[in-house]
Amino acid sequence: MKISKKSRLLTSVAAAALVATAVVGIPSTAQAADPQCATAKFVTQCAGVGADGAPYLFIAAANFNGTVFVWSHGIRPAINIPATLAPVGPYTITNAAEPGPLAASGDLSVINTLVAQGYGVAGSGFSRQSLNVKEALAANVELIGAFKKKFPTTKKVIAWGASLGSLHSQKLAETNPELVDGVILGCPAANPNDALVAYFGDALWGFKALFDPSIKVGGYSTDPVKRQQEQLENIGKVLVVLGKLSGGLSSGAWPDTASPAGKALAAAGIPSRSALLAVGLMAGIPTRSKHVDGTSGPAGAAETYPLAVAPAVAILENMGTVGVAGTLLMADGELLTGGKVYDNSKTDYAARVAADRDLYSFALSGNSAVDAIIASLAATPRETADAAAVAKIPSLIGLKGTIDKPTVMMAAESDEYTPASIAQWYIDGYGDQFAKAKDAALTAAKSSRDYKAPVNKMIALWAKTAPKYSKFTSAGTPDLSATVGAGTGHCLYSSAQWLLAAKLAAGAVATGKFPNQGPITTQAKKVGLSYDKKFRVPTFKSLS
Amino acid sequence: MVRMNRRKLSLTSAVLAVAALTASTLPAQAASDPGLTATSIKLGITVPMTGIASPGYNKIPGAMKAYFDYVNANGGVNGRKITLVIKDDQYIPTTAVAKANELILRDKVFALVGTLGTASTKAISASTQLSKRGIPSLFVNTGFSGFADKKAYPTTFSILPSYQMEAKIMGKYLKENYAGKKLALIYQDDDFGRDALAGFKQAGVTFGTYIPYASGSQALPATGAGWISKLKAAGAEVTVLFGVTSASTAALANAYAAQFKTQWVLGSVGGDATTIAATNKAYVPLLYGAKGFSFAPAPTDSADEYIKLFQTIYAAAQPTQTFDNNVVAGMSNAFLAVQALAATGSNLTRANLIKTIEDKGATFASPFLTPLGYSKTAHIGATGYWIGTYDPTGALKPDGGKYTVYTTDSGSGDVVLSTYKRPAMPAKGLPN
Repeated sequence: MKISKKSRLLTSVAAAALVATAVVGIPSTAQAADPQCATAKFVTQCAGVGADGAPYLFIAAANFNGTVFVWSHGIRPAINIPATLAPVGPYTITNAAEPGPLAASGDLSVINTLVAQGYGVAGSGFSRQSLNVKEALAANVELIGAFKKKFPTTKKVIAWGASLGSLHSQKLAETNPELVDGVILGCPAANPNDALVAYFGDALWGFKALFDPSIKVGGYSTDPVKRQQEQLENIGKVLVVLGKLSGGLSSGAWPDTASPAGKALAAAGIPSRSALLAVGLMAGIPTRSKHVDGTSGPAGAAETYPLAVAPAVAILENMGTVGVAGTLLMADGELLTGGKVYDNSKTDYAARVAADRDLYSFALSGNSAVDAIIASLAATPRETADAAAVAKIPSLIGLKGTIDKPTVMMAAESDEYTPASIAQWYIDGYGDQFAKAKDAALTAAKSSRDYKAPVNKMIALWAKTAPKYSKFTSAGTPDLSATVGAGTGHCLYSSAQWLLAAKLAAGAVATGKFPNQGPITTQAKKVGLSYDKKFRVPTFKSLS
Repeated sequence: MVRMNRRKLSLTSAVLAVAALTASTLPAQAASDPGLTATSIKLGITVPMTGIASPGYNKIPGAMKAYFDYVNANGGVNGRKITLVIKDDQYIPTTAVAKANELILRDKVFALVGTLGTASTKAISASTQLSKRGIPSLFVNTGFSGFADKKAYPTTFSILPSYQMEAKIMGKYLKENYAGKKLALIYQDDDFGRDALAGFKQAGVTFGTYIPYASGSQALPATGAGWISKLKAAGAEVTVLFGVTSASTAALANAYAAQFKTQWVLGSVGGDATTIAATNKAYVPLLYGAKGFSFAPAPTDSADEYIKLFQTIYAAAQPTQTFDNNVVAGMSNAFLAVQALAATGSNLTRANLIKTIEDKGATFASPFLTPLGYSKTAHIGATGYWIGTYDPTGALKPDGGKYTVYTTDSGSGDVVLSTYKRPAMPAKGLPN
């Protein structure tokens, strides 16, 4: 099983030249705090470097309407990754500025469209990669100042971002509300009560506990050279295990690197695919992936494949992203906090999979097999975090999640990197926030005799996972070259979807409110999204 | 994102009324629940119409529709005609969730009815939030004891006795009739089987051989053959099969192929002859002599007034289909649904329907030979079984020539002979 070449880890490379192809040539010698600008065909493009060395770009045309979109790009690894770890590598650390969505993959349609419509676009590359919330916040504040200085008619700022970039955008709105008028959260990242740490950690720990005891969940060296080498080795081990699990999908064979617990399960006749699925379920990894819909099967096994195999195959495909990203994030998290951040010493994995036992009974090989897997995990040493390090996590990537500015959120139902549970956390939190606002308005109405209903400040647009999209090769395996299923994968939004989010946010910022449900529903449907206020996805396994 | 909350909306109304303010800013209260008009009621069902579990079960919606059409032709329910939207879930729980969502959000049904399968029913309840939305899930076709728990599933009502009840009654039968024999148990290794294990434990029965199987794995050729190898090795003289009919088919066919003889004792959901015949007619005689359990009259029992009426209705609606246990199940399901809707009266709402079943459900007429257990605290349907023997045609005949019904609960209560007298069928089989 290979990781998609479209992984965000990979697509976030070198955006340095993209704006050059977007509008005009970039000045070659940008100076700190003094962006250099060039204007051609009524479009002004500026490049600068922030106080901490973060490069940035911004663009606006002569018809600038006073609203600028400030983009925060998604996560980029903080280590170089060699080509030997294909398809994760080759990757070289870059802090190239990125002024809008899709730009990193060479698609400039969003930023060009917005500039043509009179909006400004801006984006930094940030001075540090990986978990760079602190650096991103400083860079974005500085960038907004630089943009306003160049374009004094600026009236509105919309912060938008993808994945970790959406965390930056939300953080900016929470810490500097005076600078932000609207927010767009694409495939949002957040770590409510360390749920995202648990998501990646549980998956990696499950792999360590069953498939390869030498896989690291945490405890990376402080020496930077060693730490980088350990991360690369870990990624390699995860990829090797995934390959072996892929080879054993039908036969049930276990990797030869299996732990003693894994070997005991193998001896008991429990197929490796059942253990793989159990690990995925206890972490909360989606059971549908880019190429596995969970309801289709190849010719000759159309009825049994969805029940017996498909959920494990989906976990396998998703685990590529989870394993690689989890390794990089855990290592960087430890570097920034000074200790181990993942702790499963008290995790009840039986409870984690309780609701899934019957749902995936065949693929899990029945209750008895699940009991055996859980028992083997219970007998496996747990990870204990460093309390001081854990205490630093909120200051590192913490969010309140409060929505005080008009906010458009886009989330995919089966996102394996930043799970849809994050979007649900935002939705539930805002539901409580709105209810409180309503109660307050009612209280105020008792004395004022003038009820002022609170205005809705958030809309969530869902990329729902399609019921059927799997294609199979003649060998009966999922065709990984086929079109990716809607509502799967991480941040795979089209330019039309980003532009709709931009339009809705800009409209709400200008008018103070979002349109009624009908128009939003219609517009969302046109671009393959769903505006469904009753739609819910499960909360994080560690929070439920 | 606006969170809907009826209590708060009500509070809003009260506060504003006191303040003598206009109500123009308030959300309008829904005129009626979805799926209802003055002349119609829309119900929805998701069942395996295709896939490994479809044989037999795919007849349930047609049977339900036949009865609903009969009721509609006789004036409907309180002036409303019933329509049934049918979805195919292939017996895949995640698909069942998607189909249930379609029924609720796209088709806007008033209630779900007859959802089939423990895993699918649990998944639907959890993922579509039936409870939170107040959507009734009427008379689900699964005997998992959990669905009778009003606290856990406040809008869901079972129709079958629980598997735990069945295992307790079966356990009593095993002790009384096969003492000293080598016993074996093949069971579905999920909540279905977990209920059975709890019931057998309650009955004080232990088996020499336990053979769990993952739901769905019976479709693989090696699975049934593996069971028979284990039974042979254990010398099982009496084998209980607590699974679906496709599992019974796999067991019987492989036993026949291996020339292995044992006294088969089949759970109620695993012994439908026409379903077995749908796989291979040659397998039906293999049922001969097996013991079976049921809570409804035998589908061949034309002397029973319900069966006679159902046979007539079904023959007119589905003239090419065999009348069997699945048809009886589907029509009984529809009969109870109509009765619940009728008893709710003209002020039909989802909440009132649920309340009606809780208040009056135990007194509903039904084809079943056991009491119904609906109450304010329990959502259990039938509560007992009669025991019979399969004849060479695959028909289950009551032992002793008459229905001797045993009843019990899903807890520690004893298994006792039922003294239940089934009420007479309403005139023309039309609940008032």
